Amino acid sequence: MSFSPLFERLVEAFRILPGVGPKSAQRMALHLLERDRAGGERIVAALGEALARIGYCQRCRNLTEHDLCALCEDPRRDERMLCVVESPADLLAIEEAGGYRGRYFVLHGHLSPLDGIGPEELGLERLEAEVAGHDYEEVVLATNPTVEGEASAHYISEQLRPYEVRCTRLAYGVPLGGELEYVDGGTLSRAFSGRLPFTS
Amino acid sequence: MALQPAFLLHRRPYRETSALVDLLTFEHGLVRGVARGVARPGSRSRGALQPFTPLHVAWRGERELKTLTLIESTRAGVMLAGEGLLCALYANELLYRCLPREFAVEALFAHYGALLEVLPTPGLRAPGLRRLEITLLEALDAEPLFLSIDGDRPLEPQLRYGYDASARRFRPIADGHQGVDGRTLRLLAHGDWEAPGLAGAAKWLLREALAPLLGARPLRSRALLQSLVERRRAMPAD
Ligand SMILES: [Zn+2]
Repeated sequence: MSFSPLFERLVEAFRILPGVGPKSAQRMALHLLERDRAGGERIVAALGEALARIGYCQRCRNLTEHDLCALCEDPRRDERMLCVVESPADLLAIEEAGGYRGRYFVLHGHLSPLDGIGPEELGLERLEAEVAGHDYEEVVLATNPTVEGEASAHYISEQLRPYEVRCTRLAYGVPLGGELEYVDGGTLSRAFSGRLPFTS
Repeated sequence: MALQPAFLLHRRPYRETSALVDLLTFEHGLVRGVARGVARPGSRSRGALQPFTPLHVAWRGERELKTLTLIESTRAGVMLAGEGLLCALYANELLYRCLPREFAVEALFAHYGALLEVLPTPGLRAPGLRRLEITLLEALDAEPLFLSIDGDRPLEPQLRYGYDASARRFRPIADGHQGVDGRTLRLLAHGDWEAPGLAGAAKWLLREALAPLLGARPLRSRALLQSLVERRRAMPAD
């Protein structure tokens, strides 16, 4: 049933969002038109401005509407540590987990030859310049434990060899509260090979 | 259908929770399909569907794009890291770019599996890659014929030759040009692709022979490996 082509267009547009199927898209469109037109205006304004103004931080490639993002501007961050992540979502996850106080570098992807994604697309020259220009002691390669994340970590560690900086990789482990029999074989064998001395 | 031995060459996101996958299979060669729901958290195939892991798969559909109905890993794949991992990505890109779809080469499947097993050992990487490359060329009727381009004469041991990939034959060249002597080429003609003393010549020749299959678009994984080699070379010895 199509009573309004514009309405159809709005429903289709909502379906761009992850997790939104035809039913929820229709509910969202009806909600804004029927109950909350002012809310709709706020979405339009926020979205318009975000799309127009948010770009990459010149230093760490995190999302920001300024030259430097808030993390790079924060003088309290630990200048000796740099954490390389694949996406802003990973950065947020690490920030929310707490405990890490150093700086970040966001790749916005991982090396993937078959998708045509190489060092240039990931800003690896910028990363090298960042390490060359600062006194980092450690670079944490927090790319995903996938084939591409692993390849990216290897490439970056080779790239940073000439600098006096220690590259580390996140440990693989059994999830907290998890049971061994349900952990997949790959994770389990990596967790086994990365076991630590037991101190109690 | 019966379960097919397979390796995942590449996967990319498809719709919200599915993946578009390119598989190298034993009986059907390169097969493209949709793996539904594998990106869903908790999906049982999610962990299994990784590159370099020996898989068993089943699919339905006769068209080019299949629907995968079953994905199981038979055992954990070898743990690849560092340069060995980049070599494995090179093998995937090479097969993906050069093999026509659903063109089965059982020898290629076997050599690919064997390559993954040896890639953790640095000294075995080059011979394993050369074996895969020559098997690929032979499957596509593109392997070098060890003959001189003028009149299909046998190669002279004391002459130097360049390779003409379109003619699949060799051309005598003057000193100073890139090429290989006839004596070395005669050894390669006997299938000595993995002999350590011939490594440089084998690499050069197979690269020349693969060039027409790849066209103008270079292999990204090869560029990655090369840039790391150049970086190493530029570094002061420690
Ligand atoms: Zn920043």
